[in-house]
Amino acid sequence: MSSPAALPTMSVRSPVSNRRAHIESSLGERLSSTLLFRERTIPLTVPIGITSLDVLTGGLPRGALSEIAGAISSGRTGVMLSALSGATCRQEVCALVDASDSFDPASAATAGVNLERLLWVQCSQTANVKRNAVGMKPYPGFAFGSALEQVLKVTDLLLQSGGFGMVVLDLGDVPVESARRVPLTSWFRFRRAVEPTATVLLLVEQEPCAKTCASLVLQLQPEASFVSNTASISDLVQLGLQTKSYNVGHLNQQAYLSRTNAVGHAALVREIHFRAEVLRSWTRRKPPSAVTNFELRAAL
Amino acid sequence: MFACIYIPDFLVEAIVRVEPVLREHAVAVLDGKPPLARVIALNEKARQLGMEMGMTKLQAAVFAGTSSAADNVACRSALAVLHQRSTEQETSTHAALLDIAHAFTPHVEDTASDTLLLDLTGLERLYGAPVKMAGDLAARVAAVGIDANIAIAANPDAAMHAARGFNGTTIIPAGSEAQRLGVLPLQVLLDAFEIPLQKAGGKASRQAKEKRREQLLDTLERWGVRDFRTLALLPEHALASRLGETGAQLRRLARGESTRTLVLCAPLTQFDEATELESPVETIESLSFVLNRLLEQLCARLEARALATHELRLRLQLERRIADEETGTVDELRSSHSHDVGYNPIFERTFRLPVSMRDSKVFLKLLQLELAAHPPGAPVVKVWITAEPGPPRSAQRGLFLPVTPEPERLEITLARISAVVGERRAGIARLLDSHRRGSFFIDRFTVTASDVPGAASPTMSDINNHPVLALRIIRPAHPLQVHLSAGRPDTLVSGKQAERTKIQGKVLWSAGPWRLSGDWWTENLKQDVATGEPLGSWDREEWDIALATLNSDSEGKSKTDVALYRIYRDVASGNWFADAIYD
Repeated sequence: MSSPAALPTMSVRSPVSNRRAHIESSLGERLSSTLLFRERTIPLTVPIGITSLDVLTGGLPRGALSEIAGAISSGRTGVMLSALSGATCRQEVCALVDASDSFDPASAATAGVNLERLLWVQCSQTANVKRNAVGMKPYPGFAFGSALEQVLKVTDLLLQSGGFGMVVLDLGDVPVESARRVPLTSWFRFRRAVEPTATVLLLVEQEPCAKTCASLVLQLQPEASFVSNTASISDLVQLGLQTKSYNVGHLNQQAYLSRTNAVGHAALVREIHFRAEVLRSWTRRKPPSAVTNFELRAAL
Repeated sequence: MFACIYIPDFLVEAIVRVEPVLREHAVAVLDGKPPLARVIALNEKARQLGMEMGMTKLQAAVFAGTSSAADNVACRSALAVLHQRSTEQETSTHAALLDIAHAFTPHVEDTASDTLLLDLTGLERLYGAPVKMAGDLAARVAAVGIDANIAIAANPDAAMHAARGFNGTTIIPAGSEAQRLGVLPLQVLLDAFEIPLQKAGGKASRQAKEKRREQLLDTLERWGVRDFRTLALLPEHALASRLGETGAQLRRLARGESTRTLVLCAPLTQFDEATELESPVETIESLSFVLNRLLEQLCARLEARALATHELRLRLQLERRIADEETGTVDELRSSHSHDVGYNPIFERTFRLPVSMRDSKVFLKLLQLELAAHPPGAPVVKVWITAEPGPPRSAQRGLFLPVTPEPERLEITLARISAVVGERRAGIARLLDSHRRGSFFIDRFTVTASDVPGAASPTMSDINNHPVLALRIIRPAHPLQVHLSAGRPDTLVSGKQAERTKIQGKVLWSAGPWRLSGDWWTENLKQDVATGEPLGSWDREEWDIALATLNSDSEGKSKTDVALYRIYRDVASGNWFADAIYD
């Protein structure tokens, strides 16, 4: 008597497989690999330089457009300089297109940016303000028109030139109304320009404006509480801890005054805690953990 | 073994080298001021048309048609082209020939403006057989746009006579000089023989030697001697007794037996190309054609010498008229002769390249961008381009090194960016050793070779552990009106001069003041237009504040934000400014 293992087996194909095979055979060479599942290519990434942000986002993707959005004093510039510092430390040549001429070389040097490898382009600050027939100033959104034009032209030139490890567009001080006027086709063109390259295109702004053209969108805002340290000369005579609390709308902060022996520059804060939220990520549509906290310390 | 490079119709070739389209036409070169201008050089096609040396301009104009043939392109193929002599182009052509020769061998004799002699002794192992050497030499000469005859023989004079007498490339094996040179007319011998004597004398001696040459030629022709062979067969003693040592020397030259050493010349250290335009050029597009040709010649010469350039100098002579004040030339700014009738202003630009280059297309693009940004202001009549030679760039590439922009493309990109944002607004920020806020300057951006980071560069672990709170600088500083409470800032209102976003609101926290001052030993020579702060000494009290501002979100709802500013009070004027944001 033969064992069950010796009996011949027949493979039964599912109806779905049969139907798929039938479609592929009938289409033939006209449409190759029609129903094949394509693995999503995961682009290379570079670290931002802040551990919690790198864990949250996986880093800034190469060959893609990334956005860092946030209001004033939300930590955007610190994150930008951290990313630039990492890139220049890797001996990559970087470019910073500064729409409002707000880049501080001293802060960048303190953050570790190798200024020798950073091309800083200062776009014109001259506001092209025109008065209408009745002599009234137009909507302030037009004030950065010429600067934004320069930003777009310069970015085109830099991406066409190639060879840059990171290109940063700093629109942090550009009014939201002006930034929204940048046509979506421009962002799409930039994205297509960096796709075949290893360049990281980073956009720093007050609100996300590249929409679906961005592979990564990070929203920053200050945390509810932060640690502050005042070291003013007049406060040196005060010893011990003193607290003050302020209610500003929905935001509660507490400020601590403490004695310090290291009197450098009068500093309001020693470090500020920020909150970062991933609005869009190239990895998956909805990352499981979209929020993290990080801190930036003031350089004394 | 020796080689000779000879350019027939050298004056015409100097013109045709810059305008290759004329090579297919009959060309006559004129020299002298009108009405005494005469034809001093012709090419073969012009001679076939019937033109002769010494013709006046009026006589030559008959062959050129009723109007200047330069204006009528359709008639050029049938008519001659009259061109004024250009000494600059002759110098450039001769320099190009010397570059070719020195790239081949260091032993070169600058015999005449149209003749060079090269010592090829010992070069067979390097270049191959004489036939191959002659071919290589001819190819290199053609690469710089020159049409020349090449001859190789066992002694320099035989090579020179062969190059002058035979077109194309000629190889004379050792021992067969008399046989090969025998068919050449006596004119060739006497033209070559007179050359050393002409160089030494002035105008009077040149006329005397020309007369002597004609006498010799007449004497020999009356004897029935019209070629090298006939002269070579004459008895030496009889010839010497009648014509002296000159006759004996001529006989040795005709037999190809003369031996002498070359008088070597040093290689040129400057690379110039120049051209004089027939009519003033007013547009950059038209000028680009001229520049392109000159740059191609320049780069070909550099390549022949295995050199590159790190500095390019462009000089344009402008037409004699007053230039536009807004686009004044350098010479106009320097001198007060811009309104003189007899003064031709010179427009000059110098390009210092970050790395040595040798790409004519890159140079042309840089020149075009520069001329578009700074137009000469007047039509151009003459162009000079000078390149400072230097060793070519050598870069050690690595498989794992990060990609960097190509220097040539980067240079063009930077020039285009400067055209968009203005000069000195794109580059590397270099910090100055000063306590004054914002002490830096913009330097030229160059890509240096990747080095191992030194001690000043922090490592990635340092960055991860200590991300820095950065500043955003407000340029120019934002004027403020500050209301104090107990000596501390309480509320802020933007000043009247503020043009952009208002900075105003309630001060939640403040720290300060921190007194900073410096340069008190310098005089206050000028003031910053925006802030009124003297650019000499400076004295300020800085405060860090947290400001509550009322803003609108994307949905139009009002919200309160807290922003961290650095403000300061100028002690001298008492004015308040906001100059940085903590972000």
